[in-house]
Amino acid sequence: MSLYILPKERLPEFVRALQGNYRVVGPVKTEHGFAFDDISDPQQLQLDYTTTILPPKKYFLPQREVLFSYHTEQGDNGRQRIEMRPVYQGVEPTVIFGVHTCDMNGIMLYDKVFSEGFRDEHYMERREQIYVIGIECLHPCDEASFCKDMGTLTAPPVYDLHMTDAGDFYFVDTGTEKGERLLLDHVYVKMAEKEDIQKLGQILSSKWPRFRMRLKMSRDQTPALLTLGYQAKLWQELGERCLACGSCTNVCPTCFCFDVIDENDITLQNGERVRVWDSCQLYEFALVAGGHNFRESKASRVRHRLMRKGKYIKQVHGLIGCTGCGRCERACLVHITVPGTLNALHEEMQLEPGV
Amino acid sequence: MATKPKIAFFDFTSCEGCQLTVIDLLQTHLGLLDLVEIVQFREAMSEKDEDYQIAFVEGSCTRKGDEARLLQIREQASMVVALGACAHLGGINALKNRWAIENVQTYVYGKNGKDAYESYPARPISAVIKVDAVIPGCPIDRYEFLRVVQLILQGRKPRLPDYPLCVECKLKENACLNTLGKPCLGPITRAGCNAICPTYGDGCEGCRGWHPEANFTYMREILRGHGLSDAEIDARFTMFNHYQFQHMGDEAPITTPISPAKDEPLPTSTFAAPKEA
Repeated sequence: MSLYILPKERLPEFVRALQGNYRVVGPVKTEHGFAFDDISDPQQLQLDYTTTILPPKKYFLPQREVLFSYHTEQGDNGRQRIEMRPVYQGVEPTVIFGVHTCDMNGIMLYDKVFSEGFRDEHYMERREQIYVIGIECLHPCDEASFCKDMGTLTAPPVYDLHMTDAGDFYFVDTGTEKGERLLLDHVYVKMAEKEDIQKLGQILSSKWPRFRMRLKMSRDQTPALLTLGYQAKLWQELGERCLACGSCTNVCPTCFCFDVIDENDITLQNGERVRVWDSCQLYEFALVAGGHNFRESKASRVRHRLMRKGKYIKQVHGLIGCTGCGRCERACLVHITVPGTLNALHEEMQLEPGV
Repeated sequence: MATKPKIAFFDFTSCEGCQLTVIDLLQTHLGLLDLVEIVQFREAMSEKDEDYQIAFVEGSCTRKGDEARLLQIREQASMVVALGACAHLGGINALKNRWAIENVQTYVYGKNGKDAYESYPARPISAVIKVDAVIPGCPIDRYEFLRVVQLILQGRKPRLPDYPLCVECKLKENACLNTLGKPCLGPITRAGCNAICPTYGDGCEGCRGWHPEANFTYMREILRGHGLSDAEIDARFTMFNHYQFQHMGDEAPITTPISPAKDEPLPTSTFAAPKEA
């Protein structure tokens, strides 16, 4: 695809032009950090943000999503009649600015999960209306980041546009044709020239030493490590510490599990079937009719989460289920971390260093 | 629905704030009155009928005399719902259980207090009668009240969230107060209030009771990290849940004695005890 130059002073113009046709969201400053939110004034957009509590997954899978509405009434024959109408919620042309490379990897996994096997029409309808504008990560967000270990430090092919900060201007790479149209229709940009491309190469290659490695093994080893360590003592220790608060999964860019519930209006005749985010770390997640719980202990739930991230997701979708964004580590009050857990497991299993 | 179920509201030792919340809810959700008939509600109306099927009880049981009235309600109602922290947990009323009851009576009502006013250790209403459903909180969450009423009317079992407040806080993208150095009991407290206190910057005080997997050991570690002493942590743990800890006996995850000591002096308060007449 093509590489363009967008002078920084022209970014507000680009955002304003988009606002005429799209919902524009991106990272904004909050009281204690940053969050993805609607942009009303281009000045709100903080492309040099560190991290957010929730990843942009909230635009792909809303926390509360109506799947269909229903109306019930007493029929002539005395039997209850139910009418159902499908609902596609939040399907509107949306441009997401400032998506970090880890979160783009999360989106790539989401796209696989919701399109492979059972195709989720609610997700896909919304997905088709979303434009992803990435931002190249030139510095780690903080100490919790381990994107370099997870191989998510470069942009995967899910972006429509991808920006790289070059001081006075942004390089804008076009990932899709619709992304290129979005750019060219809304702002004046010029094509990058040979020396520009050389500068981009320098920016990209000089960023790597700024990121540290935290895993004692290669990410390719994690499925085998987790298989070997299934019965490890470590899980018991982590289970005792775990608060069962589900924060790790709620903030995770690849966690997608949901619950489905019916909500009635005040008349009890009308209602909606909604799906809401759920978490495998909560007690009720694997509780089934009859009262059996497949993962009753916190230890089994902590293990399950790591298994999903490091092994199961890869078996099903071919991608590792962790992007190294570090959000779960920042959210965990008892300091259960993915690198810490994998390293401890590696030690308990007495494996040779694999890096 | 052919006939509307009749419901009644009752109050015991409480501030009546939960009933006020119900009245406030009715201002925006008047349609609720198409589903039920309110036959007794001292806070809101003068009419009074003893024929009801669902009883909502606010307040804790704090005197012998309360028991007969509770039993009478249980006898009449096919369903009893505890409304709010006092009825559900004993709530802050149970803080007095820490001291010998005579001392409390004298402290509050003066020298002749124990003859003038009947009192005994506070208990949740479930300690006296069978309770079919609970709407927790201090005060209750109006929308949870509405959901519970709807479920009861549909013949479904009202269920409370079985997970901690942190879930709701994260979904709202609140910065974690514990991370910011402000004590918050969210990690051990049952969700359902939409994390209202942390959302406005105040740490959770546990008014909805603990969730079934509350991890007191590590909650204490987190609070120690804020520089709180064990006694201060105990005070936070027991604020709304004194009765629950009392009944855990030696298993209670607290470090200071919780059972009444006859000679222990009551703390001095910014609200002075009433002057002797």
